[in-house]
Amino acid sequence: MAALRLFVLAVLVAAGPALGAEFRSGVLEPPRPAPDFTLRTPAGTEFRLAHHRGDVVALTFGYTFCPDVCPTTLAELTQVRERLGAAARRLHVVFITADPERDTPERVRAYTRAFDATLVGLLGTAEELARVRKAYGVTAQKRVVPGTSATYLVDHSAFVYVIDPEGRLRLMFPFGTSIDDMTHDIGLLLRR
Amino acid sequence: MRTISVVLPLAALAALVVLLSPAPAAAQAASAIRLENPWARRAPAQGGHGGANGAVYVTIRNDGVEPDALVSAVSDAAARGELHETAKDGDVMKMRPLPKLDVAARGLVEMKPGGHHIMLLGLKRDLKPGDRVTVTLTFEKAGPMSIEAPVR
Repeated sequence: MAALRLFVLAVLVAAGPALGAEFRSGVLEPPRPAPDFTLRTPAGTEFRLAHHRGDVVALTFGYTFCPDVCPTTLAELTQVRERLGAAARRLHVVFITADPERDTPERVRAYTRAFDATLVGLLGTAEELARVRKAYGVTAQKRVVPGTSATYLVDHSAFVYVIDPEGRLRLMFPFGTSIDDMTHDIGLLLRR
Repeated sequence: MRTISVVLPLAALAALVVLLSPAPAAAQAASAIRLENPWARRAPAQGGHGGANGAVYVTIRNDGVEPDALVSAVSDAAARGELHETAKDGDVMKMRPLPKLDVAARGLVEMKPGGHHIMLLGLKRDLKPGDRVTVTLTFEKAGPMSIEAPVR
């Protein structure tokens, strides 16, 4: 993260205020095409990223047995959506499971609906999901932890990856980014 | 019938005397631990096949001059409760169980998302905004204390 921050800072300094300076959180400059993927919703329909050009997509990766970090991110993005009001019609918040062993379609459906009916849960085979994580630089490591009765936990990076209406990966929010800043930055993308 | 009518008011009176006696108040005052702002994160039990989890957050204030420690937490809403900490390791969020959570004398522990939390394992019901869950926290010195945590 420190490296990314430095990189972002360096680019912002180089580019001056014209490029991305109005964003408050982790901006990727220059924006690069968001790696495309196709996964499935709990209902079994295909979700292809490239079909959502013209809208903003916020990608999150996690697992439904995660009690702390993932629900926090999803609850915060639900609040972002509420604050954006009508503009949020063009925002798709997506939760991609990193735990295909335990996350059944029923489970992912129940989990996403607990937050927001518009939240898109996505599943795939272990290989498909690993490919998407790799393309976005997401780490997810299954770990059996002594001292807990949870079968295993999944250590994972917890960025929100925001894709602009042109299909470019534009922003990366680290865990803990304020709801204000996320609303502001996504709002900017929605107005373009 | 007459016996009962006499006994019941007596029992009620006895209960009242117990309630009014200073013993419980004294026990309350002896505890230096105060629990503030408890809340639980919304979480569905559905589809988890008994393995769905949740989290409760609470601020623990120790007004005493002795350190204390939270050693366990259980809830009516889950099969088990564990003390956990999420820590950032580079870009990765890692959760680890804690055998106990120390609260320094005149100290404060603020549980919050991405930090310390009570993990509820094996949710027995959906935790929906507006619901409440009962959580009993047991401290080394202060003993068990129950709180009602609203679900957000």
